[in-house]
Amino acid sequence: MVPELRQSLFGVEFQAPVLLASGTCGYGREYAGLIPLDELGGLVTKAVSVEPRSGNPPHRVAETPGGMINAIGLENVGLDAFASEKLPWLRENLARAHVFVNVVGRTVEEYAAVVSGLDGEEGFLGYEINVSCPNVKGGTMFGTDEAALAELVGRLRSETERPVIVKLTPNVPDIGIYARICEENGADGLSTINTFPGMLIDIHLRKPVIGNVSGGISGPAILPMGVYLTWRAATACSLPVIGIGGIRSGEDALQYILAGAHLVQVGTASFVDPAAAATVQEGISSYLAGAGIGSLSELVGGLRLPEHGQH
Amino acid sequence: MPVAIEPKATEILSPIRHRAEVISSRRVATDTWWLEIDSPEIAGRAEWGQFVMIGFGLEHLAPPFLPRPFSVAWRAEDGRIGLLVRAFGVGSRRLAELRAGEHVLLLGPLGRPFRLEPGSRVVCVAGGVGLAPFLFLAGDARRQGFDVDLLYGELTADKVFDTRLIEELTGGPPIVWTEDGSLGRRGRVTEGLRVEGPVTVLACGPTPMLRALAGRAAREGFDLQVSVEEHMGCGVGTCQGCVVQGADGRWRKACTEGPVFYASELTWSPS
Ligand SMILES: Cc1cc2nc3c(=O)[nH]c(=O)nc-3n(C[C@H](O)[C@H](O)[C@H](O)COP(=O)(O)OP(=O)(O)OC[C@H]3O[C@@H](n4cnc5c(N)ncnc54)[C@H](O)[C@@H]3O)c2cc1C
Ligand SMILES: Cc1cc2nc3c(=O)[nH]c(=O)nc-3n(C[C@H](O)[C@H](O)[C@H](O)COP(=O)(O)O)c2cc1C
Ligand code: FES
Repeated sequence: MVPELRQSLFGVEFQAPVLLASGTCGYGREYAGLIPLDELGGLVTKAVSVEPRSGNPPHRVAETPGGMINAIGLENVGLDAFASEKLPWLRENLARAHVFVNVVGRTVEEYAAVVSGLDGEEGFLGYEINVSCPNVKGGTMFGTDEAALAELVGRLRSETERPVIVKLTPNVPDIGIYARICEENGADGLSTINTFPGMLIDIHLRKPVIGNVSGGISGPAILPMGVYLTWRAATACSLPVIGIGGIRSGEDALQYILAGAHLVQVGTASFVDPAAAATVQEGISSYLAGAGIGSLSELVGGLRLPEHGQH
Repeated sequence: MPVAIEPKATEILSPIRHRAEVISSRRVATDTWWLEIDSPEIAGRAEWGQFVMIGFGLEHLAPPFLPRPFSVAWRAEDGRIGLLVRAFGVGSRRLAELRAGEHVLLLGPLGRPFRLEPGSRVVCVAGGVGLAPFLFLAGDARRQGFDVDLLYGELTADKVFDTRLIEELTGGPPIVWTEDGSLGRRGRVTEGLRVEGPVTVLACGPTPMLRALAGRAAREGFDLQVSVEEHMGCGVGTCQGCVVQGADGRWRKACTEGPVFYASELTWSPS
């Protein structure tokens, strides 16, 4: 018996639970011919901002223990070029995999402009809102400022009927508070998590390796933190959650699913092996088959907690 | 005025990802190894100056976790590719330790290749392991009737890659320079470059060497193609990790818009 991977979420059917994470699959086309994109659950585009952004000076990436550091600086083609040059390819080439557009901005207005600017276009399902961006007004990140997050989510809700997924930052003391703010202000789902801030120093040069000095840490090193924060977010609210962070096997993905995620995203692992997302998907399937579980949805949030102990 | 190499990366055939077996490895200089890997898929398609991402796959968490870019230094009819590996960091040291029978994960061929102008003399300027792409190019170009000079510089004699093997692979002796004069001519390899008549100059090596050549190309008005190095994440244009600065100030991806650029397409700020 082939286990059932399909799930109904955000008003559509996902044929499989694995998506490619934002910033690790370009605008999809870069992987065409190399991996079977349309067999996956979907993909999340590189961040899109109102105006094109040029990004940070090199080095922008480097290896860290069990992962990597990056400071790309949200380089992207901007709203207009995304709509005219990148979206048509996704529309014409993906029939079954779903596309989320990752959105960034420095003000609520900038985020809203991207969402309203794209909303009439075809070729994508919804938005993943990257709130790990400094807010011009307060200087804090939208994702670490409760009031700014509430305002942002509420505003985006009024701009679109498409699914709005908020991608939370791990950089907060209690992610559950932010999860509930998203829910109360009309978000349809959460993505947990974005990268952790970090730094790497070249001791010979006595300089930071990364041109931007610090960057975001991703890859297997962050898996347990991602699982924990996904569990915290999923249990703090009733929104569907997409689990992200360090996934490179079906077993890794299943940790997120048991913690409460419906879907997962694979990022850094695709750099190690472009076939990573497909491998994760197959791994989930073969685990279910081996364990005699008929459908993936049976496992979502199926974590068995000890009766005692501080969670 | 050179024709810019258009960044039409997506029109290039998609690269191939496959698990490949190491056929042989041998030390060819104090810190440099010659690796031969069975990869008919890549050998059949690689062009001059293209590279592969080589790594160990998802089960392997010890460094190098991310794959590393290496030039295709050679390709044989029987499906082998050759890589020239200089060991200095954790990743290249592990690659240098590879032995026959071990497996690696390859992705390639990647990037935009060197272009030769018909009718012009070809001068390859190699600094250190920047020699790699020219082992493949010089032999091919000579067979196609190009007149090729291969200038090859190292700091010291012990770093110089087996010159008999270079001759065997490229069909002619290299002109060797060492900075201390312990082998070949004494000085920097760039001093060996004489530009007369129609000539295509190709260079691969450390950035200061490329910068010095780019300065000369601008002053003396010759065409120069350089192969640049930058840290890479994906090798296929998805992560935007590998940028170098274009002449217009915009960032260009070394993996898909390069690694070969016309020197005039880039900014050469002193570092
Ligand atoms: C297109 C291309 C082709 C290349 N071809 C060859 C080749 O044929 N033979 C060869 O020996 N080397 C080649 N290199 C360089 C090779 O990729 C680096 O030596 C290797 O990635 C260093 O990895 P490491 O783990 O040994 O070093 P690390 O331990 O990661 O780093 C050691 C030092 O090297 C720097 N470094 C890390 N990665 C790179 C990089 N990609 N480029 C430049 N510096 C880096 C780090 O900042 C650090 O200072 C090529 C690079 C590129 C971009
Ligand atoms: C090179 C790179 C670029 C990224 N760019 C973005 C981005 O534009 N927007 C975003 O929300 N997340 C971005 N991320 C974060 C990833 O989508 C993901 O949340 C994170 O890498 C953790 O997952 P992983 O461990 O599987 O990589 C980026 C990550 C990397 C490594
Ligand atoms: S290495 Fe990822 S874009 Fe070049």
